[in-house]
Amino acid sequence: MRRWMKGCVAALCGLLMAGCWDRVEVNDLAIVIAFSIDKEANGEYRLSVQVPLVSNLGGPTGGGGGTSGDKTYYVDSATGKTLREANSVLQARMSRQLFYAHHRVIVIGEELARDGLSKVLDIVARFPENRLTAYLVLAKGKGITMLQAQPSFERFSGEAMRELIKKETIPVTVKDMAQMLSTPGVDAYLPYVMSVHSHPKGKSKEIQILGVAQFRGDKMVGVFNEEAAGGLRWFRRQFTPFATKVALTDRENVNVQFDKGKAEIKPVIKQGRIQFLINVYASATVIENLTNADLGRAANLTALERKLSMHITETVKKTLAQMRRQRTDTIGLGLVLARKYPREWRSQLRDDWNERLAQVEFHVQTKAEITNIGQTTENITKEDHDE
Amino acid sequence: MFCHYYAPARDSYAAAPSAYFAGLSSIIRIACQRLVNAMAHNGTPNKEEWLKTINTCSLTDLEGVPVFAALQENVLFLKRLFSDCSDFVIREFKMKNGVPVVAVFVDGLIDTRAVNQALEALMILESGDDDVEVIEEALLPVSQISKAKDYKEFLQAVLSGDTGIMVDGNTQALTLGMRGPEKRSVDEPEGEAVVRGPREGFIENIRTNTSLLRRKLKTPRLKMKSLVIGRETNTNLVLAYLEGIADRELVEEVTRRISVIESDGILESGYIEELIQDNIYSPFPQVQYTERPDRVAGALLEGRVAILVDGTPMVLIVPTTFWIMLQANEDYYERFQMATLIRWLRYLFLLISLLTPAAYVAITTFHQQMLPTTLLLSIAAARESIPFPAIVEALIMEISFEALREAGVRLPKTVGQAVSILGALVVGQAAVEAGIVSAPMVIVVSITGIASFTVPHFNASIALRMLRFPLMIAASILGIYGILVGILLIMGHLANLRSLGVPYLSPIAPMSVGDLKDVLIRAPWSYMNKRPSFLGVQDARRLRAGHTSQQQRDAGSSGTVRQGGSGTGDGGRTRGEG
Repeated sequence: MRRWMKGCVAALCGLLMAGCWDRVEVNDLAIVIAFSIDKEANGEYRLSVQVPLVSNLGGPTGGGGGTSGDKTYYVDSATGKTLREANSVLQARMSRQLFYAHHRVIVIGEELARDGLSKVLDIVARFPENRLTAYLVLAKGKGITMLQAQPSFERFSGEAMRELIKKETIPVTVKDMAQMLSTPGVDAYLPYVMSVHSHPKGKSKEIQILGVAQFRGDKMVGVFNEEAAGGLRWFRRQFTPFATKVALTDRENVNVQFDKGKAEIKPVIKQGRIQFLINVYASATVIENLTNADLGRAANLTALERKLSMHITETVKKTLAQMRRQRTDTIGLGLVLARKYPREWRSQLRDDWNERLAQVEFHVQTKAEITNIGQTTENITKEDHDE
Repeated sequence: MFCHYYAPARDSYAAAPSAYFAGLSSIIRIACQRLVNAMAHNGTPNKEEWLKTINTCSLTDLEGVPVFAALQENVLFLKRLFSDCSDFVIREFKMKNGVPVVAVFVDGLIDTRAVNQALEALMILESGDDDVEVIEEALLPVSQISKAKDYKEFLQAVLSGDTGIMVDGNTQALTLGMRGPEKRSVDEPEGEAVVRGPREGFIENIRTNTSLLRRKLKTPRLKMKSLVIGRETNTNLVLAYLEGIADRELVEEVTRRISVIESDGILESGYIEELIQDNIYSPFPQVQYTERPDRVAGALLEGRVAILVDGTPMVLIVPTTFWIMLQANEDYYERFQMATLIRWLRYLFLLISLLTPAAYVAITTFHQQMLPTTLLLSIAAARESIPFPAIVEALIMEISFEALREAGVRLPKTVGQAVSILGALVVGQAAVEAGIVSAPMVIVVSITGIASFTVPHFNASIALRMLRFPLMIAASILGIYGILVGILLIMGHLANLRSLGVPYLSPIAPMSVGDLKDVLIRAPWSYMNKRPSFLGVQDARRLRAGHTSQQQRDAGSSGTVRQGGSGTGDGGRTRGEG
């Protein structure tokens, strides 16, 4: 009994002396939803954070939070030679602890991207509050403008960007980026966004996806516009459905949605020349038909499928052409080649792979299939043909 | 063990003439030698003194004091013993043959009409005899009658409601079991309501309770050992078990633990529970209680032992385990799928009731990164104007919830409703609107409250409610690490705990695989063919082996009686196989 008591007292002392040593109440935190990194003209980094003003988020009335206005967030930024230095400056004027564990998006300014972004990504992995699952996006112009945008649907532009990237383009997380940058034979890419006014112009500023930024090493060199970005999608491991317009005749268009798709890359080395045989498979649904063609007829459908195949081939070729022009290997051709011809890759190709891309030949073949023409075969306003 | 002195009592008898006591025969003095010795130990050697204070004796002190042959001495002795007892009646009369007899009983405990009939037989109808043996055998038309040799035995019966008959010249007294009908009717127990199952519950009268039990188990194997505990209350206890099924050592151990109790009074089975449990400091109940006969019968069939206590409807069952505390008797009456699902629900809510407030405190003050962002923002928004840290908020809410519940239990039903409405309004809505507690905290507390009511045993849910508070404090100091430390301590304690020698966590720890069919799931009855082995039962087989008939195995298709001659033959064969 005596010993038991002693043990108890010791345990209690231990607990009391330890105290609540790193306890932080939720209302002492400034939860960072998104942050952006820009490069200033003087070579310093600018760190901008988007912090929700929780008192304006609709808690109970009364008691009284100190913030004014009806904005649900605010954006602040500071510069420094390192990101942590900028963070310290920010923290020095913030009454709440900056808390990074909840950021969902990291916005990279275009200038920084053109200058190379490897260095700034160090903090993202080193600092435990940061998450490797956060999405990286590239902003046209300054990154901070993305944080200042106020989309109508979401409370914060960070949230909007995240949802948008997941659905509408090729999402890239910090982890993906790190892998792409560290793997030879693959070049990185990032979703490319900018903030625009909605039409007709309202109070809100929305986030628009412009395409996919093209990287050589850790430097941005170009942008795949929407069409070329569509060509990129076939080469992703997980296909995300997207829609495109196909011209059936010169004047008449059909809109289709691709549900499934994949691309096979077959590298061939023939007499020192590198060739890639690319086979694209796609299956699509017709979502709008502005032609007079009755898609219920096999002939029309086959024609459409042929047009569709040509269209896909074309976009893929455009993508490849841009890759060749900028000498970037965005779809990881080098990786495929290295697996098929490991000896050649190691001995000759690896070191100047990006330069060699200019001489690489491509043969693209597409097999597109329409699996579903929608609920009607013809425009419903048309009168029935007599049988 | 010896008489107590009460100042007024001594004063009143000091005035009585000592010659009065000298009239008592020396037998009394010899018989009460123990008392004299006890008095001597107490430093009061005066022999006259103890006689004056004989009415401060307990029944236990009268053990071995025989019934005197001379009736007058008995009457004197009883009158002294029960001086100032207005409800104790000593009725002196003569039998038809002139032998003096005395009937003693407690007014209100007897069935007056039946006693009158018995006395009528002695006084008027029968010729009378001076030997109690003859009176018992031939003269008294009473079904329950027994002989007492000493005063302890005799008075125990009389004070329990029997009528005592003493006949001049006999050293044995008769006790007639004609107890009054002063008892509550058998009702549905409020504390353990069921949807499906018998509606009867035990009452305060132990005879009724044993009869309810006997009605469930009509077998000579059902043994009901009678014990009397409590110096002043002389509470009747019955130890019920099934001979040949319950572990004999267990029965002996329970008997031993009960019989060593030397207490002045047992008013409720809770006294017994605390006095026989293995670890008195544990918050977990090591003895199960119930007021349902079907539950007791079920426990006896599993090889456990029940302790019925007079004066309370709560029957104790030992040994018990942690898992039994999460089983309701309805589990065995409902279909097994439903019973299993509800059992899982209880396990889930057991964890919720123990951990939710602690987890809320830990996550919102230490591990904000664990929450989904939108949830964190909602919580942050709700907490924005709250002046207290999360742990203080949690303690305020949990304590006021406990207070509300306690108030609701004690108050009469009509007032209780008003209190609960007031509590819901004040603690729930108003506190949130006033910005004293946050809305998520109210949700946490309500979920915890609901969760703690899903535990079918009230005392087990109290244990969990108590442990919630140290866990909350641990969480506020060390976060989730603190909760883990707390859980580890609780688990260690549980693993260490025993109920009458049976490990508290069995059959999970130590593992006995065959008994798992009644822990995590409730297996269909056709598979529960053995009694739980961790209870050390002697005769394990419950159900004929291979009970599951061909019909059940074939999902009924082969058992249906087909049309035509072959149908009956087929059915017969099926039954034979079963």
